[in-house]
Amino acid sequence: MKEENTMYIIKNGRIHIGNGTVLEHGDILIRGTKIEKVAENIEIQDAEVIDASGKEVFPGFIDPHSAIGAMGIPSRVVDTDETYQPITAELNIKYSIDPDEVNEQEFYKSGITTIGCAPRNYNIFGGQVAAFKTAPQKMAMRLVKEHAALKGSVEAGVKHVYGGRKQAPMTRMGILQMFQNAIGDARRAEEKSNDQKVICEVFDQKTMPVFVAAETKGEMDSLLHILKEEQVEKVIVDGFCFGDCVEEMKAQNVGLILGNVNAMSQIKKHDMKMEKLVELAENGNLVAFTNTCSGNSEGREVFIWSAIEAYRAGVDAEKVVEMMTLSPAKMLGIANRIGTIEEGKDADISIFSGHPVTTYAAKVERSIVNGEVIV
Amino acid sequence: MKILIKNGTLCTMAAQTEETKGDILIEDGKIAAIDREIRDQDAETIDASGLYVMPGMIDAHTHIGLFDFNNEHAVDDANEMTNPVTIAVDARYGVNPKAREFRAAYEHGITTLLITPGSGDVFCGLPFALKTYGDNVFDMSIKAPCAVKIALGGNPKNTYGDRKQLPMTRMGVAHVLRDTFRRAKEYLEKKERQEKVDYDADMEALCLALEGEIPCKVHCTQYDMLTAIEICKEFGVRFSLEHAWGATDYIDEIAESGCDVCYGPIATYRTCGERRKIDIEAVKELDERGVNVALVTDSPILSEESLYHHIGEAVREGVAQERAIRMVTVNAAKVLGVEERIGTLEVGKDADIILVKGRLGLDTDAKVQYTLIDGKIVYKNA
Repeated sequence: MKEENTMYIIKNGRIHIGNGTVLEHGDILIRGTKIEKVAENIEIQDAEVIDASGKEVFPGFIDPHSAIGAMGIPSRVVDTDETYQPITAELNIKYSIDPDEVNEQEFYKSGITTIGCAPRNYNIFGGQVAAFKTAPQKMAMRLVKEHAALKGSVEAGVKHVYGGRKQAPMTRMGILQMFQNAIGDARRAEEKSNDQKVICEVFDQKTMPVFVAAETKGEMDSLLHILKEEQVEKVIVDGFCFGDCVEEMKAQNVGLILGNVNAMSQIKKHDMKMEKLVELAENGNLVAFTNTCSGNSEGREVFIWSAIEAYRAGVDAEKVVEMMTLSPAKMLGIANRIGTIEEGKDADISIFSGHPVTTYAAKVERSIVNGEVIV
Repeated sequence: MKILIKNGTLCTMAAQTEETKGDILIEDGKIAAIDREIRDQDAETIDASGLYVMPGMIDAHTHIGLFDFNNEHAVDDANEMTNPVTIAVDARYGVNPKAREFRAAYEHGITTLLITPGSGDVFCGLPFALKTYGDNVFDMSIKAPCAVKIALGGNPKNTYGDRKQLPMTRMGVAHVLRDTFRRAKEYLEKKERQEKVDYDADMEALCLALEGEIPCKVHCTQYDMLTAIEICKEFGVRFSLEHAWGATDYIDEIAESGCDVCYGPIATYRTCGERRKIDIEAVKELDERGVNVALVTDSPILSEESLYHHIGEAVREGVAQERAIRMVTVNAAKVLGVEERIGTLEVGKDADIILVKGRLGLDTDAKVQYTLIDGKIVYKNA
């Protein structure tokens, strides 16, 4: 563990702030766990200097939706799916997070310093997302925010679980009806269950956003039809057919956590229109990337691969960086703490040998989390 | 029909040649000439100025059209899991010729695939190699069979363990492997002595490996690769280690065995057991030790286009871009046993050629502008 007031100066790096802007030659002063100053030529005695000349400096990347980290592998029944019934909104994923499972993924090697641990896609409302740092530190240091989002799902995984048991929902009709009723019933109930209290807090008091998994155009259109009048912040998870739903997503300002497009040929399967990301981004919709696909996590690499696919499809490289940093921080409601390299923010910083969005020859040389040099 | 590719930067992948500017003449589907400058008024000309001209890429381990995830319910025609020994089933008969991944392949400059059964059995069946453009897999096929597909570890043992049948364990898998090789050896020896044998399609197929005509492709990870090496050496068959996660712990054993390695796919989450170590950095060390290494996607488990990312991850780990490209061209052609026809740009070889803007495996936005297969333009970037 580091001393409370240890200081580092990251000198002369090309600093990607995280909001789309770049400081060509800048220094970053870290004191304790926080970024104290970002400027050209910072000189402070007693600060250890980390030379970043010729290097690319990024805020820690954020994967806002990760099942891995809370699955409890090798348990036969994983810790992300409380599928005894389809609505378990009250559950808090915090209690399922296995810090060793997170550590094992070596997320820092892909520059990912925070993940949003989430229930998978098998419940209509599966529980609440928690933002968690990836570096092996004390739990209190790692948990950025619990109750960061309510996780829902209207994708086919739900009907496969319950339909397989001959229980509702067995069809997409059943899924969407149950989703709609869950909100309506919660509002109507005079004596609210704990799940209903959470649903009302989310949809009426907007205490946290909803992250809802939907993949096909039918699922996405249906979800957006039901959510049209809802004022809560909406984020679609996976969303492979986003390119076919752009107008409605723009109209409702829906965020997108784009699923792992390289799993099982999603781009070809859905005839994905990746270039439509440009349009969404220009409209101001938040976009982010994740290691999951249909709720299932893969390795840390796919996060950057999806970012690369966005860049290949025409999104500006620095806009892609924003999708890896500030946008997911906003989705999780933690942009006050992480997502950019700015004064007062947590010192979560990766120093890459190149720009990982534009070149594969980009390796993490230093990883700093909560002001501690991890690598 | 002649095509002349003019003024490209040639990355031929032939031994000991450096990138040069030059022209390539294609005639009757083959490379007819490569030179600093070629003139031919009868040929259709493609201007390759500013583009890299490379051999079409090869993915040496896929299940395209055998696993089909294009519809709501996944299709598995890759595993005839009725017996741990199903050597003779032929992948060509299971492939969906309309699988969308073929198009993804040639649009991304991948012109040849190996398609393999597996890996739910110890002996999974017979893989084959095909060109990615066409409408009939038998016409597209360039070598069948290419290998005998074998699988070690969790896949076969879970298949049969669930049924309380052999093999339920790794020692059971090793037993099935050795016992089957022994039976095939006896079968072959009887035939060589011209004794009467009852025709056995599985034994006939495995004899191809024992006679050295085709190698064994052995799915293995971590310490299973020692079992693969031991038993393949014992029966004198050529072989490749497939997937090979954890190879950094067994570099010496791999290099000494003389086997090939088809590494990938990566990007799985890490956990105990077979996923404990995912180490694409192994390909750098293996390449330096002279091992023939190919990078593979296992598509459609991962997308076919993720071959780019696999090349890129090798580069990220310090493999020179040119060496990484060899792992999806000339090296992969050797794994398939088709290096006489494809894998490099040399006179007389199939005109499977791609023209690329940017450096594949280095520039993340590198894009294929033209794909030619057997001298025909099958893709042009609009």
